[in-house]
Amino acid sequence: MLLCLHRLKHVRSGFVEALSLKSNIPIEEPNDKDQLKPGRAYLAPANYHMYVELANRIALSTDAPVNHSRPSIDLSFITAANAYRDKLIGIILSGANRDGAFGLKTVADKGGLTIVQDPKECEVKTMTESAMQLTKVDYVYSTDEIIRFLSKIK
Amino acid sequence: MTLTEQDFQLFLFALKTSSKYDFSDYSEKSLKRRLLKVLTDNKLNITALLNKIKNDPLFVEKIIKEITVNTTELFRDPQVWHAIRYAVLPKLKNNSVINIWHAGCSTGQEVYSMMIVLNELGMLDQAKIYASDLNTDVMEQAQKGEYKYRFNIGYLDNFDKVIKENPYNYEEYYDIPYDKYFTIDKASDTIKMHDFLRQKPVYKKHDLVKEGNPMYVKFDIIFCRNVIIYFNYNLQSKVFDLFHRNLYDNSALILGMHETILGSYSVKFQKKGHVYYKN
Repeated sequence: MLLCLHRLKHVRSGFVEALSLKSNIPIEEPNDKDQLKPGRAYLAPANYHMYVELANRIALSTDAPVNHSRPSIDLSFITAANAYRDKLIGIILSGANRDGAFGLKTVADKGGLTIVQDPKECEVKTMTESAMQLTKVDYVYSTDEIIRFLSKIK
Repeated sequence: MTLTEQDFQLFLFALKTSSKYDFSDYSEKSLKRRLLKVLTDNKLNITALLNKIKNDPLFVEKIIKEITVNTTELFRDPQVWHAIRYAVLPKLKNNSVINIWHAGCSTGQEVYSMMIVLNELGMLDQAKIYASDLNTDVMEQAQKGEYKYRFNIGYLDNFDKVIKENPYNYEEYYDIPYDKYFTIDKASDTIKMHDFLRQKPVYKKHDLVKEGNPMYVKFDIIFCRNVIIYFNYNLQSKVFDLFHRNLYDNSALILGMHETILGSYSVKFQKKGHVYYKN
């Protein structure tokens, strides 16, 4: 599982620890070229883009921010879509700009499944609504429904 | 615009055969993305690009510059600078000369960050600063020492964290004014480094992939941050070999926050905190 969140670039530590308190699976901020292993979650490190390479490895990059964002959700989605194609599920949650919309479209175009958090439930709707404008998403779910869905596919 | 695997391979092959640049061992994802940007920015399709690469050496230089731009900032990752200031540099205090190499220096913010730390420790005079990059455009910017101030995104917060505060003793605070090192011009949104910093480093064009040590000295510290993420395993090992041969024993190699030494060179360095030391 890959997690890409817009986050403060100068706050390096603490986020993984905070997420880990709530998580049943280990979460880590990967290093460049780390091998992706099943049953783990990988959080894009602050101030890096996180890509998926074809050999099931992470690649990090300090390329210029995209949509004012680094990490860019679009780039994580696009590279993961190219690597995993129809075996990928892309999920967009609440967020404050259009980042991720184009990426989710790429997930759909490559045959992946797309889910968007119900904008009614979102703290900020921009991200989810932008994604829905660009892509006919497969499911619009509340967070509880997303959790139920993900637990079932195991 | 999309790019097929074949287009990409043709591009690598054209560069390799018609120029001195070889990107075959670069990390694919980043390179593909940058190639796409070059195509869009220059309004070219892949066929036109390949033709230009074969026939126009000046164009090749231009796109190499577009492809190899890397981003950098003042005091990126303060905790790394804390390690440099409080763990690496004190051990070098009594050396008559300290050789420092910024390999892949890009626009030079890291070079200035280092000189500022050295100056705060009273070690700038004994330091020899060398900086290199494949891209001469970014090095010209480095020599100019002029940057967007970007006050709105807290550009100078990291300066405060590294230069003014002591993370090991919160009661300590050094009231160092910014204008000790650079002039801030809010109207044009720029900061300009003072001449005593601008004129110190030796800059040299250098291809980490193809060339040996460009400076003909051994080093006490090598910086190479967020450069090797663009290289594959093979190339990374070649670069680590170059660094290993040109560092003094127990000297420091500073990589990016999320870069690690993999493969056979991992046993030739020892990591303590954020710093690799040559065994």
